[in-house]
Amino acid sequence: MNSTGKEKKEKTATGKILSVEGDLRKTIKGLLKKLLKNNTLDAVLVPMKAPETESYAWVLLEDETLLDAADPLPPVMTVQGGRALDSITKQGDVYLKIGALMRPCEIRAAVELYKLNQVKLEHIHLISIDCPGALPLKEYMDNPIKSKENFEKIVQKGDKNEALRPVCQICQHFSLLSSPSTEETKASSSPDTENHSAADLHIGFFGGNGKKLCLTASTSKGKDLLEKLELSQDDSLEYWKAAGEKIRQSALKNRESFNKEWQEKIGGIENFTTALDACINCHNCMRVCPVCYCQQCYFDSKILENSPETYLQRAQERGSLRFPLDTLLFHLGRMSHMVLSCVSCGACEDACPMSVPVSQIFSMVGDQTQKSFQYVPGTDRNVPLPLQSFLKDEFCEVEIPCECDQSLLGKA
Amino acid sequence: MAKALKINKNTEEGLLQLLEFLLDSEKVEGIFSLKKLNKNGNIAYSLITNKDELKGAVPLDPHMPVNAGKILSHFTLAEKTKRPVAAVLRPCELRAFVELIKRAQGSLENILLISLSCGGVFPIDTMNNGDAKKRSSSYAESLKKAENSPDVRKTCQSCDNFLPQLADMTVLTVGKKDADKECIIYLNTKQGENFAKDAPGNTISAEIESSETEKLKSKRKENKEKLFKDFEKTGNGISGFSRVFAACLGCHGCGEACPICYCTLCDFDSKTCEYKPESYESELEHKGGLKIPPGTLFYHLGRMSHMAVSCVACGMCSDVCPVNIPVADVFTKVGAALQDVFQYSPGKDIEEPVPSGTFKEEEFKEVGEH
Amino acid sequence: MDKDFTPTIIGFLCNWCSYTGADLAGTARMHIPPSIRIIRVMCSGRIDPLFVLRTYLKGADGVMMMGCHPGDCHYQKGNYSTRRRYVMLDTILKTLGLDEKRIGLWWVSASEAPRYEKVTNEFTESIKKMGPNPVFKEIFI
Repeated sequence: MNSTGKEKKEKTATGKILSVEGDLRKTIKGLLKKLLKNNTLDAVLVPMKAPETESYAWVLLEDETLLDAADPLPPVMTVQGGRALDSITKQGDVYLKIGALMRPCEIRAAVELYKLNQVKLEHIHLISIDCPGALPLKEYMDNPIKSKENFEKIVQKGDKNEALRPVCQICQHFSLLSSPSTEETKASSSPDTENHSAADLHIGFFGGNGKKLCLTASTSKGKDLLEKLELSQDDSLEYWKAAGEKIRQSALKNRESFNKEWQEKIGGIENFTTALDACINCHNCMRVCPVCYCQQCYFDSKILENSPETYLQRAQERGSLRFPLDTLLFHLGRMSHMVLSCVSCGACEDACPMSVPVSQIFSMVGDQTQKSFQYVPGTDRNVPLPLQSFLKDEFCEVEIPCECDQSLLGKA
Repeated sequence: MAKALKINKNTEEGLLQLLEFLLDSEKVEGIFSLKKLNKNGNIAYSLITNKDELKGAVPLDPHMPVNAGKILSHFTLAEKTKRPVAAVLRPCELRAFVELIKRAQGSLENILLISLSCGGVFPIDTMNNGDAKKRSSSYAESLKKAENSPDVRKTCQSCDNFLPQLADMTVLTVGKKDADKECIIYLNTKQGENFAKDAPGNTISAEIESSETEKLKSKRKENKEKLFKDFEKTGNGISGFSRVFAACLGCHGCGEACPICYCTLCDFDSKTCEYKPESYESELEHKGGLKIPPGTLFYHLGRMSHMAVSCVACGMCSDVCPVNIPVADVFTKVGAALQDVFQYSPGKDIEEPVPSGTFKEEEFKEVGEH
Repeated sequence: MDKDFTPTIIGFLCNWCSYTGADLAGTARMHIPPSIRIIRVMCSGRIDPLFVLRTYLKGADGVMMMGCHPGDCHYQKGNYSTRRRYVMLDTILKTLGLDEKRIGLWWVSASEAPRYEKVTNEFTESIKKMGPNPVFKEIFI
């Protein structure tokens, strides 16, 4: 089914260069327009500001004139792009060639959903874009005009600003040009060095000083798009990668201190309870999470219902019992279901009415657990989900050796 | 004249004393009340069975982390409670509980309902921010004067249904000038009187409705009309309506928080509401573009058709909306219109059937005959 | 107003009355407007308000619900529920200023072919006057 990931990549990495005419956003939209016009794509999925409001939404559009209102670099992430793509292809492949222009974390979520058999990618062209980060949704909604000004500054400077959401400040996957995937995943250790990629086409602008864009294709689909765009100027990727690497290094440093900080903050059951005790069990975090795709969540089901007698007993054991029940079970349980695929997109925290730092906790735990499986979610379509595969000779250290094993080993 | 219990303590302490008495005398096994969780200032609805745990209880705290009607329904869903339990809840929460019972989602039996004349609650996200103390002292002042506190939610400021119906006991807070010295708890039912028997305090007879409550009621009615009018200015017609909900993420948090929306699997989360691939193709063909995920207005209009007639105006939907959509404004407005048409007031009478589940042969005769 | 505008109207017709009535109107060669597309239901009580809402939000210019006169329901009392549901929908749409006139309920019995002809023509005319349903072109729905 998936032929795209198997494409061989040329040895020397090069990209196509495009100079920005006037406005960065306009240039990017121009690329999409061209692809729609020459029928390479039938439709594109892009963020757009809803008319007469300050809010953004995903729009699937066929009519290229509608692109004028689109915004490829929105200041906030409203609906996670992976989720948007999921809703399009959930019931089966849409026979339109759709180009989806999304942030890297959204692309990665889409790839995770693809592995989970939710998103179908056969006719979808994933186009990723260098991501300057996103502002906290609530702050933006409270003061959209000022937030937007702020965001423009961030886009121009291209660094990880403190106004951004905490998970954006520590994000290392903001650009699929300099993504660390190839160095850290299992894929890299395999003898075959072909690029197992997430996106088909990447649009980079970090390092272009707002004057240049750099486009790279990593699959045949992406190469096809690039060809149809008829860009003539080639450039080596070294310089562009270096620009991204600089930002990545500082993000990496932030990530380390971030992990440490959160480990301390939520270490121990008491601290963990305190960190989550504002939770009102609305399950918004689960609803907006791109990876939580189940139609009927386990934690919404009847399975956790009990008789009044049981509740009273539970209360009497401790003197009092907090309602709604099982909020910790919900968060820990959800974590066990999805954290290996957590792409740290921050959608959960944006949607939390109580501003519980869900995304930060999940991102920290995700980072640690993913490391132990050497798994970077969504960067490689061909690497299976950690819990769907295993090797016979891994994690031997977690087994507690018993005497008979020892003696057997001795004999051997 | 109704009977009432007069306790010479401030209102919250008086109520706590009564609750303690109920636990002590083993008249109830447990008490549902808001309770402080820790130093963060977060509170949660809790089932308290130990007298010592009552120290952290804040039954009158002006916050509504979850609609308590939903909690009581969850508590009694499997079966009615065999051992008596008391619950302190606000009038809209009580109405929600009654509406849920009408839908076979719980049972009133063996539950002592203690409600209050309600001055409204603060928005949920202010629960753990620093100036809660300052706000609550100004809130107490407004309560004494039977005025709207400016800090309470918009929905509460325009709620004229703040005197509980069906409660066994009602704590007087609105217009209680000497709330610092005296606590009045009305005993509205036989059950209430039985439970309060031998409780510390004097029994007096008094009327809950006063010129003070009337004053607040008319003020809030005025606010409500204004709220609905304001909505008409911005949210009317298909373009206005779609603008109001343009920011909607489709998280369905409003439905999840809504006490009336009790379905385990919402119709709008089911496969029936997913778009088929060919629907996307045909919609694109004539529109040129489509919001993804689609079906925002369908969800809100549909949910409205399912529950708005029972809307108790608790405002939880607006509270949990991550993008500040005034969901409650829309739903209370439509709810009021529907309740007017069907002459129904949600949560008032436990015997009265829900309008959507019943009909009369002799009604709406003009419909369909034109 | 576009003179050539032919509205798209979806009719939910009860099998036992209006559907048969429509059939009779057809065999009697009465003039039925081409705008109406009929969906047969076994009772008007089967018409879930969500059917109507979905039809309206997908861009139908009008929705007709038809059932047996009160008291004549094949299943005794299904149409009384329909009536309540219609009143509810009408109230919701009216309150929100959405075109409630695009949705209507009529009682048409199996023998009332002339009434079927009359109401479909009248409704089509009124929809023509209102013009196309603006939802049809709305992207943010």
